[in-house]
Amino acid sequence: MKSKKLSKKDVEHLAKLSQLKLSAKEIEKYEKQLSETLDYVDNLDELKTKNVKEAHSVTNSKDEFFEDGEENKRGLDENKVFGNSKKTMNNQFVVERIL
Amino acid sequence: MKILGNSYLELLELMKTKQISTKELHEYFLKRVKKFNKDLNAFITPPEDVVTEGDMPVAVKDNFNTTGLRTSASSKVLDDYISPYDATVVKNLKTSGSYVFGKTNMDAWAHGSSTETSDYGPTKNPWDTSRAPGGSSGGSAASVAAYLAPAAIGSETAGSIRQPAAWCGTVGLKPTYGRVSRYGVVAMGSSFDCPGPITLTVEDSAYILSKIAGKDEYDATTSTKSVPDYIRALKSPKKYKIGIPQSYFDTADKEVVEKINEAVKVLEKLGHSVKKIKLIDPKYAISVYTILQRAEVSSNLSRYDGIRYGNDRSNFGEEAKRRIMLGTYTLSHGYYDAYYKKAQRARALVIDDFEKAFKEVDLILAPTAPNTALKLGEFEKYPFFGELMDILNEPAAVAGIPAITVPVGKSKENLPFGMQVMGKQFDEESILDLSHQFERETEFFGITKELLKKYPD
Repeated sequence: MKSKKLSKKDVEHLAKLSQLKLSAKEIEKYEKQLSETLDYVDNLDELKTKNVKEAHSVTNSKDEFFEDGEENKRGLDENKVFGNSKKTMNNQFVVERIL
Repeated sequence: MKILGNSYLELLELMKTKQISTKELHEYFLKRVKKFNKDLNAFITPPEDVVTEGDMPVAVKDNFNTTGLRTSASSKVLDDYISPYDATVVKNLKTSGSYVFGKTNMDAWAHGSSTETSDYGPTKNPWDTSRAPGGSSGGSAASVAAYLAPAAIGSETAGSIRQPAAWCGTVGLKPTYGRVSRYGVVAMGSSFDCPGPITLTVEDSAYILSKIAGKDEYDATTSTKSVPDYIRALKSPKKYKIGIPQSYFDTADKEVVEKINEAVKVLEKLGHSVKKIKLIDPKYAISVYTILQRAEVSSNLSRYDGIRYGNDRSNFGEEAKRRIMLGTYTLSHGYYDAYYKKAQRARALVIDDFEKAFKEVDLILAPTAPNTALKLGEFEKYPFFGELMDILNEPAAVAGIPAITVPVGKSKENLPFGMQVMGKQFDEESILDLSHQFERETEFFGITKELLKKYPD
């Protein structure tokens, strides 16, 4: 089985993309474990998938839309929306500065 | 009156005939929770002392949003999250006279097959408390097996209802994808997730399914197909042509295979015919599932930022982080075609494979899990082990077909085995009917009642 071993740098990059802070020990561990999993899923190469259409839905469901003006009966009021937040001000969520 | 071991429907009958009140029933189960939950850790939010609404108690897995009651999905990220709304399943239960009897433990975010990744400690298997109950709906399965609740709701992405139900010796039903609404369930693998009941009897399973199934305008993937009368289906038993896929038996322990073969003989005696069939090796379904589910996990868990609700991302446990990272990788530029797209193509092959098989047979029968309950701690040794434990559950999950597991006896080590019956999409009636016929013939070899000797009133 060919190895798709991820490098330390790859794992650090993935952690950054995933907004996760990892310790050096975790990076080392994930480097090994994720590579093992990627090796396992290589078995899909044994199946003939080249000319198969991808399955986007298992039950062939179609797109569904709300009609314009339809009432969202399960909408939440402001108290409920902000009730679980640790930091709000004037009924707005407080976030860190981006720029 | 003796309540111990009565099924949900038997208790409902006692209530309708005014032989028991909701208050009495609630206090009965509450007493059992207080007595046994410290050993089993099946509930992470125990039932409230007093019932305020509804008649019949149902334990609910902690990934279903419940108004005013903590919904943590067993993760510290949602440690203090109080949902402002009910999941559709919970709403449907309440409308049909049930109420939420506590929230059950699970693998954090439903990531796992042992309930050991819970941030609130593992649930113990009631058959042997040194063993795992399976997962991720381990708390739901353990609570029903030890009769801390008369029925429970679980959820399955691939095996999370069937495998713990089998390891705890209960009945677990994974409906067709889209039969039961996912609205308000903490999302894991959105193209797989299916809520379903864990019960003592097949009839209870049919009853609860009929209450929670149906079209929901808040989950566009739910089907508009009408919900049949599942209980009525049990009253007119049919004869079926049952397919036996050899590849599913090759991966199971010898003792498991022997037990399933005995169960097949029971079904033959009942007049059903059996046919060997060939299905794609389930090892490929593991790969399809692993790639697609991790991708969906990385997307679904990106919403947890600690801004609108919950705690920040430093609270994710080891398994969640592992899954997020793998999903991020397989969805990223340059790898998307090699992994995600290829897995979706292979998924189409698995769907097609089942469709072909169901032209030859009505139902497919296999072991639910390759072995009986493992010792606590075994899973930690192998990061990929959970998936391998779910090998026999993943094909049905990948294809979105319904499947039910029922107890078929126990091992030399005194641990229960499960047998699963898979059916065509939206044909829950047939899988319920066949497993109900098996139950009536065998009474599941008395294993439910046997376990309750360990958990007396």
